[in-house]
Amino acid sequence: MRYDSITEAIGNTPLVRIDPAVHGLAHIDLYAKLELLNPFGSVKDRAAWNMAGPHLADAAERGRQVVELSSGNTAKALAVLAGMHGLTFRSVTNRMRIPEIKDLLLLLGAEIEELPGQSECLDPTATDDPLTLFHRTLSEPGAAFLHTDQYFNPRNTEAHLTGTGPEIVKDLDGRAPDWFIACVGTAGSSTGVARVLREHDPAVRVVGLVADKSDFIPGIRTIDEAREVGLFDPGTYDTIEAVSADDAIEGMLTLNRRCGIMAGPTGGAAYFGALRRLRAADSELTERQSAVFIVCDRVESYLSYVRRRRPDLFGRPRRRNSPADLSDTEVRAAPAVGVADAQAWIATGLPLVVDLRSPSAYAALHIDGSVNIVDELFEELVHGGLPFSRNRPVLLACPVGEKSARYAALLTRMGHPDVRSLTGGIIAWRDAGAPLVRDRAA
Amino acid sequence: MGGQPLFLQPRLEARLRSLAESGELLHTLTDALGSPLHVVVPEQIAANLERFRSVYRRHHLSGQVFFAHKANRSSALLRRLAATDAGVDVASLGELQHALGAGFTPDRITATGPKNREFLWLAARTSVTVGVDSRDELEQLAALVRKHALPRARVLLRLSGFETAGVRVLSRRSRFGSPVRELVPLLEAVERHRDVLDAVGVAYHLDTTSLDEKATALEGCLRVLEECRERGLRPSAVDIGGGFGVGYLADREQWERYTTELTAAVLGTRPPLTWGGHGYGLRSEAGTLRGALGLYPAHRPVAGARYLDELLAHPAASFDGRPLADLLLEHLYDLHTEPGRALLDQCGLTLARVLEVRTQEDRDELLVRLEAKADDIALEAHGVLMDPVVVPRDLSHADTGPVAVHLSGSLCLESDLITRRTVFLPRRPEPGDLMAFANTAGYCMDFHATRAQHQPAARKVAAWQDGGSWRWCLDDQYWPTTSVGGAQ
Repeated sequence: MRYDSITEAIGNTPLVRIDPAVHGLAHIDLYAKLELLNPFGSVKDRAAWNMAGPHLADAAERGRQVVELSSGNTAKALAVLAGMHGLTFRSVTNRMRIPEIKDLLLLLGAEIEELPGQSECLDPTATDDPLTLFHRTLSEPGAAFLHTDQYFNPRNTEAHLTGTGPEIVKDLDGRAPDWFIACVGTAGSSTGVARVLREHDPAVRVVGLVADKSDFIPGIRTIDEAREVGLFDPGTYDTIEAVSADDAIEGMLTLNRRCGIMAGPTGGAAYFGALRRLRAADSELTERQSAVFIVCDRVESYLSYVRRRRPDLFGRPRRRNSPADLSDTEVRAAPAVGVADAQAWIATGLPLVVDLRSPSAYAALHIDGSVNIVDELFEELVHGGLPFSRNRPVLLACPVGEKSARYAALLTRMGHPDVRSLTGGIIAWRDAGAPLVRDRAA
Repeated sequence: MGGQPLFLQPRLEARLRSLAESGELLHTLTDALGSPLHVVVPEQIAANLERFRSVYRRHHLSGQVFFAHKANRSSALLRRLAATDAGVDVASLGELQHALGAGFTPDRITATGPKNREFLWLAARTSVTVGVDSRDELEQLAALVRKHALPRARVLLRLSGFETAGVRVLSRRSRFGSPVRELVPLLEAVERHRDVLDAVGVAYHLDTTSLDEKATALEGCLRVLEECRERGLRPSAVDIGGGFGVGYLADREQWERYTTELTAAVLGTRPPLTWGGHGYGLRSEAGTLRGALGLYPAHRPVAGARYLDELLAHPAASFDGRPLADLLLEHLYDLHTEPGRALLDQCGLTLARVLEVRTQEDRDELLVRLEAKADDIALEAHGVLMDPVVVPRDLSHADTGPVAVHLSGSLCLESDLITRRTVFLPRRPEPGDLMAFANTAGYCMDFHATRAQHQPAARKVAAWQDGGSWRWCLDDQYWPTTSVGGAQ
């Protein structure tokens, strides 16, 4: 297949049947609409292109900046589309909690603005919330912005009304599925697809999924947040159900590991929510039915999100010579030296003084003649073996003498005959009035 | 009653729960001293201080916890705190005099906020550390010290307008502090006045619940301190202000259910939950929710000392992701904090007598009139939604089951509502009952109180536990000697 522009690769995504051995439904064929295969990585490519596309040439002529309230995939697609047309893109958000997405947006050249948090000393009469102020700056005279307004823009829904929905019907041989399950973010995809499916068959049942209120699932809103979305109409859905972050990750793992579908947590939430709803229906069925859910985007951007909630999935083999292996007894028995004795020892010129603090702290003030190896780096060095000759005595220093004791114990265990920890650390050193220096800038 | 009752029950720790359950004492107190009445619990503030101290210890940090006095005028709370090793942050001449009189020595006091000449003079005269808000104030203080031959003044430079690389973290504009981009002239002024001013560190205070914003500011302070050292100054501390927050409600699900129902009420898909359909900042535009919920996040699992703990563990992006606590420690800086509301968590309650319980025409909600003005119980003024605890006078009344009520105040003024929210109570209150509003010590007792219509502002008493029972005295009569077997 040959294209003149990457934007032509948006849409026409595959509809893939989930193996019944995985989902275990006896009477329902379950299909995943693989929106993750869009060129910029998500279902939002469709909406972004449909909303921005017609205005990009004009915006380029007038030097306008593309602006959107987005914490993720829409921003990613718009950043690329803006860049392709020589425009800049700014994403304004208070929800961007995924560090990989942030970094990717910066990499793509986007500007990111995070809105301030809620006031601690609240003034209930101040009604100018940050979003109101945002909208005001957009409409100021002379403002040069192309605001795609994804939560209210009907062209968001339209992208699915003309694309996603008809594609599903076509791939099911001209029939609408009996069930359609989608997560509610901007509500664009669920609203557009549901409308198309109902036109074909008014009996299709539409399940909207929202995030549990106490939880955060990227790309899905809680029910309260959904009510702030202009495109959201509760009448679109036969039921609205909540999914927790743990459920979403479980669903995601099944798709990743059993189905070969590299879905992110939103797709996982859709799969989990679909299965929960369909299992109940399945047992009462006699004839065959079909169901479709949307896989929004890919797993790779959510590794830190998953790691925070499921550290067990990232179990790594234990490494040799780790300070974490030491017992408290070993740490307590670590060779140590007080400030006065350390000063005398250093005066003999014998020990190498290693300062384990960060470079900026070391640069600010340190023991004259010491070497700075920040603890994280030191830990890496020690994994590989002793970084010093056994013939060279070592004095380790950290802020309060805790980390240095740990490393002194570790180096001793590794066979160093004369390593000592500075008792009480640099703080005790300072409090004792011992000299700290800073090197003059070159 | 129009659907399920939507309770918002207060979070009560052991001391405050015990007090709220001491019905006989509470009725005796209001019978003698009138309604409304504030009761403060001095022992609790010492317990809260200890929670902050333990966070300092966990991170090996030294530095002072300064109680933000403005949150409560109480003498009892201040004097109890003077008996600990805490400091106090004063924001007026009167508060400084109060703190000195309560037993705080000047090394335990910082003076912050807008200052007049008298406040500056007394602070400098007593060698209290002055949090300097602007370059003008710095010049004014230097001139004052010279003119009156005062001792060299210790100053903290309050900063604002911190900038980030990469992601721009926006903050509300503040009236206080010197913008970081005008740092150079500020530091030049500090150097010029070195003979009369001793810059002991820098400070910020951001009015936000966002950890990211505060982390950005703290990183900014570390960079400024480095610049101070580069200029040969010897700063030793960062003061990160307060704003650690309080969790007011006991139950997360109640809060979540309530806020969801409130959005439904604003959209008109359920009956109103407020007087006159007030939306607390939310409104409906063409069936879509607009505006922002102007309410304090009343259920906060991470608040107070735990919030400080999280902030300190936050990685500093511009220092290779090292936790902020490690950076403070290894740069040898003291950490100062100024909690107000968080130190006053669970430190008291406000009592108001029920005067009238009226059935409203064509409405299900009862109208309950209290012997108190809305400004005596300023929870609503701070956006805090929380149920009062009903303390019945007569325990023999039949259990009516839950009722919905509107709570109105005693002023001849339509808007004098204790809260605009429809409050659900577990049973119908009767005239003569008390309503105990829990956890009002932080900003909700005297900060807003007026004497409008010749109505009194609430009196204040201090209460403490002695063996199995509660004892009390007038707030002004309390000294740390009182509660340990002294006078009463």
